[in-house]
Formats: sequence, C-alpha cells, structure tokens
Amino acid sequence: MKKIDVEICFGTTCFVLGGSHLQELENSLDNDLKEKINIIPQNCLGLCKNENYSQAPYVKVNGQIIDRATIEKVINKIKCEINE
Amino acid sequence: MVLAPSMNKSLFIDISCSQIWKTNQNTCGDVFLSKRFPKERRVIAVLSDGLGSGIKANILGQMTATMLLRYVEQGRDIEKAAEVIMDTLPICRVRKISYSTFTVVDCHENGSVVIVEEGNPGFVWMRNGVHMEAEPEIIVSKKFSTRKMHRYKINMLPDDRLIFCSDGVTQAGLGSPRLKGGWQRSGLIEYSKTLLLDNPELTSKELARRITLAATYKCMDNFVKDDTSTAVLHVRTPRSVLVFTGPPFHMERDNEHSQRFIQFPGQKVICGGTTANIVSRELNRKKETTMASGDLPGISVMEGVDLVSEGILTLTRVLEYLENPPSKEIRDAAVSLASIFMENDCISFMVGAKMNQAYYDPEWPIELEIRKTVVRRIANILEEKYLKKVEIEFV
Ligand code: FES
Repeated sequence: MKKIDVEICFGTTCFVLGGSHLQELENSLDNDLKEKINIIPQNCLGLCKNENYSQAPYVKVNGQIIDRATIEKVINKIKCEINE
Repeated sequence: MVLAPSMNKSLFIDISCSQIWKTNQNTCGDVFLSKRFPKERRVIAVLSDGLGSGIKANILGQMTATMLLRYVEQGRDIEKAAEVIMDTLPICRVRKISYSTFTVVDCHENGSVVIVEEGNPGFVWMRNGVHMEAEPEIIVSKKFSTRKMHRYKINMLPDDRLIFCSDGVTQAGLGSPRLKGGWQRSGLIEYSKTLLLDNPELTSKELARRITLAATYKCMDNFVKDDTSTAVLHVRTPRSVLVFTGPPFHMERDNEHSQRFIQFPGQKVICGGTTANIVSRELNRKKETTMASGDLPGISVMEGVDLVSEGILTLTRVLEYLENPPSKEIRDAAVSLASIFMENDCISFMVGAKMNQAYYDPEWPIELEIRKTVVRRIANILEEKYLKKVEIEFV
C-alpha cells in the first residue's frame, strides 16, 4: 500500500501559532501507524498567505489541508485515510 | 554601513586578543582596545600593560589605551600622543617607572602598518612560517631620557600576521627550573612558527588563544605570575557571506535576485521559508526541509546554499546568541548561522522588502519592520562587537 504523505508546516506563522508541537507527531504514533506514513517537514506550505486559510498551523495529509492542526487531528485524519 | 553588497577587493584585517589574568586577581591589568574605521579602511588597536596588577593596573591600562586610541583616531601623531600620556599619567615613585607600557598599531587595508612600542615586548611578524625582523626607528622622550619608543613602518602582504603581547607572555615561566629566563620572545617566535606551519588557516582569535594558553602552561605550578595577553593581527583576502532574507518587493524581480544570490562568490545563506521557496522555484533547485527540533524550526537543504533556515525566529535567536554566546552545547539553526558569521569577515544582507501577507493582518502588522530591525541590530553587533564589515541592501 502506498504510504500516506503527512506534510507538516514549520514555517514561521505555523510554528508560532502552535505548529512547534507537531514535532512530536512521530513519537505519538504507534509503530503500526508509523510504518504507514511518510512525514515530510515543510518550511511554508504557502497557505498562511491566503486569507481563507488564516488558521495556522497547517498540515497536509495526502494533499488534504488540516487547519489549526493538532497531533490529535492529524492522527484522526491519518486513520480516516487508512480506512478509506 | 554601506549599501549594496559588493565584493571588497582590499584586504581584511582580522584582529583579536586573548588574555589570562594573574592568578588570584579579579581583573586584568593588560588592556586591549581596537576600533575599525570602515570608511578609512583602517584598524587601530592598542595593547597596554598597566603597572602592577589588579584594579589599579587595570585603570592605568584603560586610561593609556583609551587616550592613545582617541589621539590616533583623531589623526594626531602617536609620538606626541605618547608624550602627552607620559606627562599626564602618574609615575611610580619607588620604581621610577610609569603608569603603563603600550603597543599601538595603526593598520590600513592595503597592508601598510605603523607600530609604536613603549616598553612592551617587541612584536613578532610572521610571513609563510618565517619570522621577519623589522628595523625600528628609536624615539627618545624629550622629557624622560630613560623612555624610548620604537616606531616601525612596515608593509604586510596578504596572509602575514603580527603578534603583540604583554611581558606576561615573554616572561612566562621565569625562574622555573626549565626556563630560567622565561619563555622569551624567541620562545614565542618558535612556537608561533610551528603553530602556523601546522595550521596556516588559524584565525587571529584562535592563534591568540593558543599562544596565551601556551605561555601560562610554562608557569610553575600553574601559578600565572603576571597578566598574560596576546593580540594577533592577520591581513587576508576577505571571506564573505551573503544572507538573503525576505521576499523581494517586486515579484517580477524574484529571478534576478535569486540569480544574483546564487552567483555570489562566497558563502550563501537563506533565512526565511518564503525566500527559500522563491529561490528554489526561480533556480529550479530542489529543497528538503528537516524536522524542527526544540524551539526553533529546522533547516532545509538546497544545492549550492550553505544554510537555509526559517526567518524571523532564527534571526532573533542569532541576535541573542551574538549578544550572549550560549554556554551549553546548543545545536540549532541559529548556532549554525552565528558560526557562519564568525567565520566570515564581510557579511552582506539582501533584505526583501515585501510585506508577507500572512502577517499583514491586525495581529502581525509589523513583520517587515521586525525583519529590518533585527537585521540592523545583528549588523550593528557584528560591526561593533565582532569587528565585521557589514552591508545591507533592501530589495
Ligand atoms: S507558515 Fe505554514 S503555511 Fe506558511
């Protein structure tokens, strides 16, 4: 099965608006989930520049945007993707 | 500060001093002061050794060094300045010797140097691992016939080094079974030769540190009998770094600025995610970002660029580190950038003046101002505390 891409934004806006916690994502995952995903750190997903998306921090799971991202929200999204 | 990054063709003067105080003293009686005059392309430095040790010596040394620096800075003759200082400062009644000894160095970026010594050990001049002996002109004080100044006019070539020291260095180990007469100037010359042959790239800071340390190792039972100071002056082709931070004001010129950045003939740094994305897009170079670690975002890797970091937070942290170097082993993007600054002589900033839309809301109205202010403060501290040459250009 193709791995799920998890792009975490560590750009300034995302980082100061809570994104720094997302460094812990990998440690919060059980081994099973870890194997199924591909964590890709990014330095700005470009979303912070768009008013509609002014809800940093952002994470993209398989290209789908999660705004106000938290570890919990990201894990839920990953699980959804796996179940689909 | 000059605007617009340009490669400077003249030589860079790398000057630094290292000191170890006399054991059990809480201040140093040797005083080293130096000042860079970017417009005149010149550096003036003074190393003075106040009589005795501790606070009294420190005050004497400070007065001498400060006065000399001011005089020379104002374009006055060192000889006259020295006379005035001899007249002004107190003389030890018992020993009939005065205030403090000194060395003044006035060095231009074309390599021409004037050195005046009064009482300090003779300077050491190294070229390609060989010691060059310079002929002094001897000037006898009009008022104090016992006082003689040595004046030298020399021309340094790229990569020449001058080493100045207080007598704490040349007399290190005096009276010990191994070195009855102390380390002496000859010991210093031999040691410097070996050091430089093995490490021709040594910075002035490191060379000064190693010499001072070697001198104190000569002391019996680790008891440093006198304040020990070494100053090193190195003229060399400048090492330069260009820092690109912030998206350029005119988007249509992104490509031009990216090209100019990548063609810079020195080290290259990008500070800012958007800036990195612009360069990556315009030059079609891949970029990979690493995980954040700790309280700073991580770095990215891009071919041909020495460091790619996040912008404002990292720059702000660099400023903190430059003000107060971190004591513990920290490894973050700011430490990497601060060490790149330390390794280079000329530091240019290309500051993009475009307001980042992300911050252009009531909560972040001043992003551009922050960037400009942080860069200016970094520039000031690099110039004043670290004696670097700094240029800032807004694009
Ligand atoms: S900083 Fe995260 S999208 Fe720009």
